[in-house]
Amino acid sequence: MSIKPEEDRDSAPWWEAVRRHELTVQRCEGCGTPRFPARAVCNRCRSLEYTWVPARGTGRVYSWIVNHQVFARPMAELVPFPVLLVRLDDGDDLLMYGNLVDGDAAELREGLPVEAVFADDDEGATVVQWRPRR
Amino acid sequence: MRGFRDRTAIAGVGYTGFSKDSGVSTLTLAARAILAALDDAGLTVDDVDALATHRVGDSTPPWVVAPALGVPEVRWYLDQFGGGSVSHSVIAQAAMAVASGVAETVVCYRAINARSEFRMGGTGRAPAPVFDMQYQAPYGYFAPPQQFAMFARAHMNAYGTTHEQLGRIAVTQRANAVKNARALKRDPITLDDYLASRWIAEPLRLLDCCLETDGACAVVVTSRERARDLRHTPVLVSGAAWGGGDSFFSGAGSGPSGTDFTVTEAARIAPRLYAMAGVGPEDIDVAELYDCFTYSVLVQLEDYGFCAKGEGGPFVESGATALDGALPVNTHGGFLSEGYVHGINHVAEAVSQLRGTAGDRQVPGAEVALSTAQPGYVLAGTSALVLRSDR
Repeated sequence: MSIKPEEDRDSAPWWEAVRRHELTVQRCEGCGTPRFPARAVCNRCRSLEYTWVPARGTGRVYSWIVNHQVFARPMAELVPFPVLLVRLDDGDDLLMYGNLVDGDAAELREGLPVEAVFADDDEGATVVQWRPRR
Repeated sequence: MRGFRDRTAIAGVGYTGFSKDSGVSTLTLAARAILAALDDAGLTVDDVDALATHRVGDSTPPWVVAPALGVPEVRWYLDQFGGGSVSHSVIAQAAMAVASGVAETVVCYRAINARSEFRMGGTGRAPAPVFDMQYQAPYGYFAPPQQFAMFARAHMNAYGTTHEQLGRIAVTQRANAVKNARALKRDPITLDDYLASRWIAEPLRLLDCCLETDGACAVVVTSRERARDLRHTPVLVSGAAWGGGDSFFSGAGSGPSGTDFTVTEAARIAPRLYAMAGVGPEDIDVAELYDCFTYSVLVQLEDYGFCAKGEGGPFVESGATALDGALPVNTHGGFLSEGYVHGINHVAEAVSQLRGTAGDRQVPGAEVALSTAQPGYVLAGTSALVLRSDR
């Protein structure tokens, strides 16, 4: 997909880690709560202090779609394709999106265990995708 | 909890025609709808002292519309950022402005060329670079039908909601649109037609999706006292609520629903909406529920308390939401069949029902209506109104 990620100042470290093929989440320095997506403040203890820590890189499918409509030209050669919404094993409130790799849409079900894989394109962008755990 | 219950009223409604290509500017659409709404109320531009709208970079703001129309003096205006989730907050805030005394007569409008110029989801233009889109757009996931398909699947997973139940919503609303001369789609459809319509984003089909529409709609909000001197039975703004707090855009939930995609912000605002109006779901005679997609109707039936969580599917299957059911829903055909003007045409339909002027699709004796915005899946909140006939 040639739609480039548009990172912001809060998320830049996450995208940098993705380019190194590392999956990370924020960890609140105040209460230890892991957090994603990138936010400047903890919505539990309101601490502004945080670090980026490694995530396990595994999760379970919560929901998914199989997209058929060509909403943008780069999709034309890819449809139909699944988009997954994955709950990370690091915490129930940590959700990440991605496409399905090395799997078939027909096997998708709630709770399907998946693991993160990193996909580099020719122009230096990297995204996280999800592969069923066998 | 009374807030500004029953202190203001909707005194006029106006529409442009709905089409796939208006061929005119959004300013033209806004002007036509506003003039029609004022005429409906028995007012003129000279009576207007405030304007309110919402937009996402796709329409003409009040500070262009007001001088274009020659409004004598603008005493208050609202140029709200946002799409479907804020639609009803525009009217709620106009009612607050009138109740507070800063304005007397507000025209609220929404004018979009949502098919010919600004298609939601970016078809023909780049998706808006808003915050959490960065985690989604790279996967080819940024269009509203995809988002609502994701939410619908979560509901199917959790409660066994079926395609046929979603289809029932599309079929029922089309039957209502058959009785609505303004509707873009007036050919009856069957459940088989629904099931045969092509996939957009599984589990949603073409007939789960609203109609991208060029058009405008406007309503006039004024004081109850002033409305009583005007042409029609006033329709009182009895309850109004907006906000919520969570967004499921990327799963940054912080409230009671956490990251359970099957509970919307409607569940959070419903108690104070009903409390302000002094009614409960059992008092609602007709409901115009935001139907960008069939699924948004189903989940709101649960979250506004018409049935238990998870029972939205069986509820629509029972026929309860049909025109002759216990709770007629989207009597004009909704966005699925009348046209999609982002919420304000739901309010206008509720006004027709409460005036008793809805013709073939009139719900007999309708006195209290619920009208709602996109239930908060995108943009951390929603908005809704309880309206009451001042007969």
